[in-house]
Amino acid sequence: MSAFFIEGRDFELFVDAVIGARRVVGPVAKRTKFVYAELESAEELRLDFDVTILPPKKVFFPPSQDLVRFSDGVVGGCIDPVETVLLGVHFYDVKGIDMTDFLFRERNEDWNYLAQREATTIVASSIQSISPRAFWSSVGAEVEPQGHDAFLTKVNGGYLFETRTPKGEALLGYGSFREATDAEVGAAALANAAAMKQCPERLDYPSEAIAEKVRDSFGDVAMWDELAKDCFSCGSCNTVCPTCYCFDVRDAWNLDQASGTRTRYWDACLTREFATVTMAGGGTENFREHHSARFRHRFMRKAAYLNEKLGGPACTGCGRCSQACTADIADPVRVITHIMEVSS
Amino acid sequence: MSCEHHGHDNLFLPREARILHTHRPTASEKHFTLQLADGAPLEFAPGQILEVGVMGYGEIPIGLASSPTRTGTFDIVVRTVGRVSTAINEKEVGDSLWIRGPLGHGFDLDSLKGHDVLIVAGGIGLCPTRSLIQYIEDRRDEFGRFLLFYGARDPLQLLFTEDRLHWRASGDVEYFETVDRADASWTGNVGVITTLFKKVQLLPETRVVICGPPIMFEFVIKELDRLGIVRENIFVDLERRMKCGVGKCGHCQINDKYCCIDGPVFTFSEIQELEEAI
Amino acid sequence: MAKPTLAFFDFASCEGCQIEFTNYGDAATLELLKHVDVVEFREAMTETTGGRIDIALVEGSFTREADRARLQDIRHRARVVIAYGACACTGGINALKNHQDDFAEYVYGEHATMPHLESGTARPISAAIKVDYEVPGCPISKDELLLVLSNLLHGTEHVTPPYPVCVECKRRETVCRYDEGDHCMGQVARAGCGAPCPADGIPCEACRGFVDDANLTALEKVLMERAGFSQKRAVGKSRMFTANLRS
Repeated sequence: MSAFFIEGRDFELFVDAVIGARRVVGPVAKRTKFVYAELESAEELRLDFDVTILPPKKVFFPPSQDLVRFSDGVVGGCIDPVETVLLGVHFYDVKGIDMTDFLFRERNEDWNYLAQREATTIVASSIQSISPRAFWSSVGAEVEPQGHDAFLTKVNGGYLFETRTPKGEALLGYGSFREATDAEVGAAALANAAAMKQCPERLDYPSEAIAEKVRDSFGDVAMWDELAKDCFSCGSCNTVCPTCYCFDVRDAWNLDQASGTRTRYWDACLTREFATVTMAGGGTENFREHHSARFRHRFMRKAAYLNEKLGGPACTGCGRCSQACTADIADPVRVITHIMEVSS
Repeated sequence: MSCEHHGHDNLFLPREARILHTHRPTASEKHFTLQLADGAPLEFAPGQILEVGVMGYGEIPIGLASSPTRTGTFDIVVRTVGRVSTAINEKEVGDSLWIRGPLGHGFDLDSLKGHDVLIVAGGIGLCPTRSLIQYIEDRRDEFGRFLLFYGARDPLQLLFTEDRLHWRASGDVEYFETVDRADASWTGNVGVITTLFKKVQLLPETRVVICGPPIMFEFVIKELDRLGIVRENIFVDLERRMKCGVGKCGHCQINDKYCCIDGPVFTFSEIQELEEAI
Repeated sequence: MAKPTLAFFDFASCEGCQIEFTNYGDAATLELLKHVDVVEFREAMTETTGGRIDIALVEGSFTREADRARLQDIRHRARVVIAYGACACTGGINALKNHQDDFAEYVYGEHATMPHLESGTARPISAAIKVDYEVPGCPISKDELLLVLSNLLHGTEHVTPPYPVCVECKRRETVCRYDEGDHCMGQVARAGCGAPCPADGIPCEACRGFVDDANLTALEKVLMERAGFSQKRAVGKSRMFTANLRS
């Protein structure tokens, strides 16, 4: 596709024009952090964000989502997508969306996710500020971000707008874009390459070697116990992860006590009851009873189990888990580096 | 409340199934015979599961307990253990249950056909295997010898009284049963299920299906190893907390496998390397 | 079918949980009243009842032996007894005094010996009578109480989430208290409240008690290393709502 340029002063007008036409979700400030939220005006948009608390997957897979509604013996679905522009997604989060796209589509297509995904135009954006725990420059470097429709790079007092799909091109009509010069395209490439060099943490091993070593470490119970010693089983590392997609399903009645909903909620495999089943005999059994077994399961999922399907690790290097873990034991760079260095 | 926006199926939308018949085989179990409310036949393979629910209470995974060769209706057996199963077991003839499925990957019939088949069922594990038992009975000449071992904790826990009478008298199946603990009325075999192995001669090519509590697996596998039955020919039906039933929600993961779509039936060779399997 | 009757009773407490119940707003309250008959509710009506009750909601802790007979009478008359609020479920903050001798003087000074202040060990309602359900929290979450009642009306039981408050904070994208230099106990506190406190910039004090297998060793470490607590304060911090559960 092609590259366009928009001056800084015209960019806000462009965003406001898109807001006038569609639902627009982008990064905004929340206290000392950033979150994705529906924009009311371009002023709220903070493309200088470092990382958001939750990844943008919440646009398609919200923390709670009604799947089925029932009333008087009638049961119906509630897939109701809204045309949306998701504006300002860093490349590592595009990779995360690529993974959840695949996972919700494989084998059984889940249109509770896919319908909103297809109704969304994703505009990726260059990294202007860097999160202190990021390691996106090194993890899964063999996997290219795919599922975006355009890419914005802040450069030369404006933005380079590279369209990737017809959905991305369709946004051109909302702003004063002109064709970009070779110099602007070159400057944007330099800016994006420079950001990659400033990534603070690095995972210095190839994905395949990591997958093999992590899988082989499964039986090293003493090591996992030590790594997980301070784990609260609080599920924060799961809940903020762009590639976690587990959920629980619960029913509830509305106030009328006759109608109600079947709703899915994000779940977390680090929490204690996640793998607990009520056995046919009546008792319960927890297949990952000890917190270190759950801690290990997360690393198996991120570094080994899904690699074959996804073509790389189920990790984007966003560093959200490292930041969210109050005990600071969740950082994949530290845990995986430890396994690579010491595990036999 | 449109159910199929944009022409796409909603994986979570259940279908209504009417209860045609119920029966209480034990104090805690209820046996339902169901039919889809729209009259369509339910197409499934032995060993597949249904998510069965009551709206407002939730859904639970239940193995189909009848064979697809017996068309029109289908059976499930539900044990009262929690919130959802209690709500299901309060339903009576004329009421509806809401089902999704069939889900998962049932018994590999092609690898059973033409061979001797032994089914080893412990406790409520007889329910999902009943689907296969009926299937083999209905297509008897497609299989070799057919043996069935069934064990329960005590005589009061034995399911399917009519079926057992029929199996005992039937020339189609060599049926053996045992209880761990007898009571005064019991005249049959007493002991764990592996005690039944000394009653028969089995060829090493026999295909074996196991369904029951995890503790049973270990002992049965030892017997099968002794008989020289390779683990590729041993099929196990596993129980996990299958919530979505469609390979998404993550609750039934065993290492990298999803019990609901990769199973619930696995060959023993597939799962023996999985640390979390049994 | 007659609507089930609902009665509210209070013991040693601030009655804040009753007040919370009045915060549903008109529409929700009127809808709820289509399904239950409220027959006693000191904070909202003057009528009381001496007859049979379907659901008794008991607030406050059991602190005086003299209250035992009243609790037994409620138990005798009620089909279902729900202890609601931290005081009723665990003794709540009232139980802090169980580990101190000079609490009366500390709080009331020269008036400490006035007869109406006399009270003994603060205990949960379950120390006096059998309790069918517990709804924790200080105050309760009105939405959760609604779920409990809704499930009861349908003959089943609400399941309190087994995970900690962090899950609910993250789901609603609250900035972590630790990221603002504060402390918090959401890592070990039982969720189900929807995590309103951290969302308002207030640390979680675990008013609903702890999750099973709470990692208190790690909590003390994090309170010291990240929130700058002394060891004494870190160890004592988590006791506010769990004093009765620990030695």
